[in-house]
Amino acid sequence: MTAESARPRVPINPGYFTIPDDPHAAPRLLGTKCKACGEHYFPRRAICARPECLSERTTDVELGPRGTLYSYTFVHLPLFGSTNLAHMDGYGVGQVDLAEGPRVQFPLAGKQAEFRIGQTLQAELDVLREDGGNDVVIVRFRPVEAGR
Amino acid sequence: MKDVAVLGVGMYRFGLHGEVSNATMGREAGMGALRDAGLSFRDVQAAYVGHIFAEVMSGVRVMKEFGLTGIPVQRIENASATGSAAFREACLAVAAGHSDVVMVLGFDKMSAMIQQAAAGIRQASMEDAILPAAFFALWATRRMHERGMKAEHLARIAAKNFNNGALNPMSQRQADKPVTVEKVLGSRMVAWPLTTMMSCPIGDGAACAIVGRADLAKKLRPDRPLVRVTASALQSERYAPGHLFMGPVVGPAQMTIDASQQVYNEAGVGPQDLDLVQVHDAFAIEELEYYELLGLCAPGEAEKCIEQGDFERGGRVAVSTDGGLIARGHPGGPTGLAQIWETTLQLRGEAGARQVEGARIGLCHMMGGGSVCVIHLLARD
Repeated sequence: MTAESARPRVPINPGYFTIPDDPHAAPRLLGTKCKACGEHYFPRRAICARPECLSERTTDVELGPRGTLYSYTFVHLPLFGSTNLAHMDGYGVGQVDLAEGPRVQFPLAGKQAEFRIGQTLQAELDVLREDGGNDVVIVRFRPVEAGR
Repeated sequence: MKDVAVLGVGMYRFGLHGEVSNATMGREAGMGALRDAGLSFRDVQAAYVGHIFAEVMSGVRVMKEFGLTGIPVQRIENASATGSAAFREACLAVAAGHSDVVMVLGFDKMSAMIQQAAAGIRQASMEDAILPAAFFALWATRRMHERGMKAEHLARIAAKNFNNGALNPMSQRQADKPVTVEKVLGSRMVAWPLTTMMSCPIGDGAACAIVGRADLAKKLRPDRPLVRVTASALQSERYAPGHLFMGPVVGPAQMTIDASQQVYNEAGVGPQDLDLVQVHDAFAIEELEYYELLGLCAPGEAEKCIEQGDFERGGRVAVSTDGGLIARGHPGGPTGLAQIWETTLQLRGEAGARQVEGARIGLCHMMGGGSVCVIHLLARD
């Protein structure tokens, strides 16, 4: 898990995910549901994207925190915008299918040998850098161990 | 598309040109294209300029290099497909009868953009924290899972493109001896399974095409074959479940299928009629997928066709004959116009050591930010 820190956590960009007060709670992704056709989206949008729908009757929802791994890779370069030493040797990236429908792309926690297409993952917050006394965080997904 | 021809082409070799300005690269590519066409800048009635990384107004500023003749100048930007999108606008302007002779100029210095990012001038955001190579690597991992693709298949594509590039004087990467599958696999890993040699390099450069009425081409250069633009398609994404909205995405595969069907229908040809094809091979996995999406082979057969050498020069249909983005390079704005340069030379029979014998029909395919697909068909009379 990410090293414990007393600093307040702020998102890399606002409007994409929650930062729970409980440091052990999983973040949720800030998405949209179309009230006309039921389609879910991440990130948020005002108008349904389905060419058959295009409804403006959309509402904010929280998505995740669990999903299924559709594909993965491991990047052998530092994560852009990070000064976290844990990111210097590279980072995993996954496409994750959320239960609500959207497919999202995020960094993955762990090493390449731990990733398997079809496995269940859960979102967590990862510290990229310190900025003005805050920890700047991004969402990443971590494989859920069997039985948990 | 009726009676639109490529009158001339020119390039400033792609590479790392630290001190060479966009104005210099653009002027040289443009003057080369005018000479090739047998025209003067006085004859150019409109210009479409493509750049991604250069600052605002760079289009009109660089065009002043040729002289201030008062013609309309428009800047077009569509990420990697910028040059292709600008070329399309020029073709439409000629086809619609608005202009007889149009210049399409693309230039960029991707190396300058990378330096800004490294210096922290560009702030990381949710949209770009992850390297673009990762997104294409995700396509490769999924293909391995579904179709049993091996890294060797990607290495074979990259080796082909390096070896084609070695025969192209305008190619950024010039291998001094034949590149093998083993050498590609042994190059540094970027995003598994993609290595540096399976990925396009960072570079600078310029390319230009002069587009005009087909009857003018016959008058200006009766000594050589006429190269027509027979079809053009530009498509953005159409939503489907599983669509990815965030990041420099690969884009839905369906875009390439749909855009290629449009150009085949417009020109009345099929993929079996193509002699050579240029694709957006920023990463080798892309070229493999586009074989199927463009209909060059049946779904699921790309690996087998690669093993048979179908897409090599001398194979069933030669792909990335100039080295592709992987070897020839991918500065940004000029990349799509480099494809037009290569296809025009091939169709005229002027491609030298990499000439595809008897080439009559060529296809040029570019993707922009995974969000737009541009395809053109060129044919020799």
